[in-house]
Amino acid sequence: MPNNKHTILVLLRETNDPRPPARVTARGAAISERGLRRMPNPADLAALEEALCLKDSLGAAVTVLAVGPVRLDDSLRLAFSMGADRAIRFWDHGMEGGDAMADAKVLARIITIIAPSFLFTGNSLTDRGDDPVPALAAAATSMPCIGAAVSILPGNNSVEVQRKSDRGARQVVGATLPCTVLFEEVRTPRYPSIDAITASLSANIEKWDLSHLGLPFWEIGSAGAYLAAADFGVPRPDPTRVVTPDPSLPAFERILSLLSGGIKARSGKLNQLSADDTANALLDIFREEGLTAGEAP
Amino acid sequence: MMFPNLFSPLKIGTTEVKNRISFQPHLTNLAISNLPSERQMYYWGERAKGGAGLVITEELTVHPTDMAYEKLIDVYHAEVIPGFKKITDYVHQYDSKIFAQLNHNGQQGDGSLSRLPIWAPSPIPDVLFREIPKAMEPEDIEEVARYFAKSAIHVREGGFDGVEIQFGHSSLARQFLSPLTNFRSDEYGGSLENRMRAPLKFISAVRKAVGNDFTLGIRMCADEMIPGGLDLAQVQEICALFEASGLIDFMDLSIATFYNLYLVEGSMHSPLGYTIPLAAGIREKIKLPVFCTGRINDPVMAEKVLAAGQADMIGMCRALICDPFLPKKAQEGRVDDIRYCIACNQGCIGRIGMNKSLGCVQNPAVGREKEWGEGTLEKASVKKNVTIVGGGPAGMWAAKMAGRRGHTVTLIDRNEALGGQVITAMKGVGRDEFGVIIRNEKSQVEKAGVTVKLGVEASKEQLLAEKPDVLIVATGSVPKKHPVGGADGPAIFNVVQVLNGEAELGERVCLIDYDGHQRATATAEFIANQGKKVDMITSSLFICAELGPTQDLYSSRQRLLQKGVTFTPDIAVMEVGGEAGAKTVKGFNVYSNVWFDWGPYDSLVLVMGQQVDDDLYMSLKGTVPELYRIGDCVSPRKVDMAIWEGHKLGREI
Repeated sequence: MPNNKHTILVLLRETNDPRPPARVTARGAAISERGLRRMPNPADLAALEEALCLKDSLGAAVTVLAVGPVRLDDSLRLAFSMGADRAIRFWDHGMEGGDAMADAKVLARIITIIAPSFLFTGNSLTDRGDDPVPALAAAATSMPCIGAAVSILPGNNSVEVQRKSDRGARQVVGATLPCTVLFEEVRTPRYPSIDAITASLSANIEKWDLSHLGLPFWEIGSAGAYLAAADFGVPRPDPTRVVTPDPSLPAFERILSLLSGGIKARSGKLNQLSADDTANALLDIFREEGLTAGEAP
Repeated sequence: MMFPNLFSPLKIGTTEVKNRISFQPHLTNLAISNLPSERQMYYWGERAKGGAGLVITEELTVHPTDMAYEKLIDVYHAEVIPGFKKITDYVHQYDSKIFAQLNHNGQQGDGSLSRLPIWAPSPIPDVLFREIPKAMEPEDIEEVARYFAKSAIHVREGGFDGVEIQFGHSSLARQFLSPLTNFRSDEYGGSLENRMRAPLKFISAVRKAVGNDFTLGIRMCADEMIPGGLDLAQVQEICALFEASGLIDFMDLSIATFYNLYLVEGSMHSPLGYTIPLAAGIREKIKLPVFCTGRINDPVMAEKVLAAGQADMIGMCRALICDPFLPKKAQEGRVDDIRYCIACNQGCIGRIGMNKSLGCVQNPAVGREKEWGEGTLEKASVKKNVTIVGGGPAGMWAAKMAGRRGHTVTLIDRNEALGGQVITAMKGVGRDEFGVIIRNEKSQVEKAGVTVKLGVEASKEQLLAEKPDVLIVATGSVPKKHPVGGADGPAIFNVVQVLNGEAELGERVCLIDYDGHQRATATAEFIANQGKKVDMITSSLFICAELGPTQDLYSSRQRLLQKGVTFTPDIAVMEVGGEAGAKTVKGFNVYSNVWFDWGPYDSLVLVMGQQVDDDLYMSLKGTVPELYRIGDCVSPRKVDMAIWEGHKLGREI
């Protein structure tokens, strides 16, 4: 039965693609931007998908929120193209140098203003693991918070959530609304249509800053943080795989592989023949290489 | 900063090293009376001054039965301590750290210097030294462990920051580890556990002697590269076990043994960074800092290896022999000023192999840092007009040094580019890196304010018209003709003609080699690469006779044979006959005196060595106040002497 009174706020966070090597900046206090690939956190997109499924089945209104600089608009447009109704990007330079406590104050304030029935987001970030900000914001706004969720069944003023429990077991918990749910990466985000992508390019993204929240600047960023960054370094990287001499080969072959830099000699063949002769020449090569057996038909 | 990883600090044991560049252990032959010398202090100190974060000394011998080389330091004598203190104080003033390498070479030596039998796990002679060692009795093993400990105490007392024990390509410890040299049936042989027993004894004795607050590591051979020897998989297991012992702080690496010495110290025929795959393989398995050494002569490559996590420390040996200031220049972003090592192996490995003091073709100051090192060049008291004829290595070095001292220098060459004979030499197969000598110096000549005139044929009249105060003739040498009959005319060529593409060679080529060096082999391969059939004839015992010391013999012979080149040694060629297209060669075996005929050949190539090109010098004698000649036009030798003479004269005029 359609239920339009639910509003769902989905928090989309950015994560670094773990594949390229991270580099520390010259001052040694951050990761260098160069060569870094960023993407929306996959678990957050799964949470968005969950919200959109609820919208499809129950008719909820979905608002997506991103906290960060202008490049996050891309994530929000993706959410629009998938079916979100409203997008807000909050950013204020005062947030730089903040910790989870300071960031949670911002999120809590946004929750208070929007007053959603649900806050959805991913249970963890691919690059950093657990992010305490949504849970801290939930606590600050006296919302229940359910982590490791795999599926959700909302009622009128309550919700039942199935979540991961010990040793692969599943636990069903109930909570009253409003409620924060942190989803595992269970659902596959839908693939938007070309029309929806085109439409998302001109969709309106609301830009909020500190003045929209009514928070004093000393509450956020480094001024509001409990922690201060002292030093920053990447742990010893695992070696990039290179061709090591195969110990099962004889020494002579191992030396050749080392001195050739792992490059094996290849030979090329150039035949300029008629179509029939080319076909026959190719079949001969296939036979020589052991790809086919017997005579050509 | 261009190289953030290379210039990031690293904690090795209790030692904080300021960057990732280690000046690796290598023989210098600079010790005097088996004690540390002043020359060593300046030699290692110059590399610290140049910015290397870590310096590791040459191998120091820990026991009287090990005197593999005449000029090793006997670290088991307490007399070494005062000399060590001077060395370590000197290095420390540049904020660099210094480790000492302890070694017993085991069977990789002979007893002729010590007059004692050599000791080894089993009576298996080394392939190079060929002396049958005494199989060590258990008490001998205990004694060597005690001597390792005693030596380590001297090292610590001498002010070093750490110690490295040689378990690598030439070491008693590796001989215990390897099934190739350890045939014992007692508790020191057989299973891996048993083969590791003696090496672990050495490590634990040293650890006990130096305490836990001193850095201790080993240098492992990552792959012996010989049938029946240790391979990477076995060494990975051994390294993991050594790490698990908790006794060591780092893992330095080397490769191969004396069976294949050309891999230990790869020449320019080996690719740059050829040992990186092995270091990466070891580093996959252990958490200790891993060193990687082997033709990493360039900060760009070093940075890449570190960024890819294939090693934690970059071992540079020849790169810093050639340019001690490579680290500093890299840190300041002055990569253009770096003098890159070309791995010619002539001055370093070649000279050490002949028991001469360490040198470097491109760096005449090696071992003479006190006299010629950084900061010793003084401005000339009288500024002179210096004209140099010949822009080869000798002329370029003389010009550079004289220009830096404030003289007004003009360098004239008849060719369109600087480099002289190097331009031809680098065309030989596998010799292209030789041209880096010219790349290294060209910009330095310009920076020294030298006026370079190219494409100018210098005549006596022109030169005198300029009224120079000093005239230096560096006109080099030209190929010598064969002294026997018939060795002239069509279809007979010399090396320069072949390499410069001026020779029209047929399909069957005979190369007569009186040189034995790269001049012959790189040219033979140059011809073979064109798909031609090459026969090499020499009066030496074997083809590549001069390539042993530089470790080029193995790979050169291998490639020549793979390309179908035939070798005929012991033959003195006496006569050349026949027409073009059917040339014949007649000669006799220098031992049996039996005569042979070879042919027919389409073309002959004569590698006869060089003769001086001194016409200009002779015509100028007595016409200018100061006249000098340097390099090949004095007597044709190799590039090291050309550079040496150019450098020396540039300092003195």
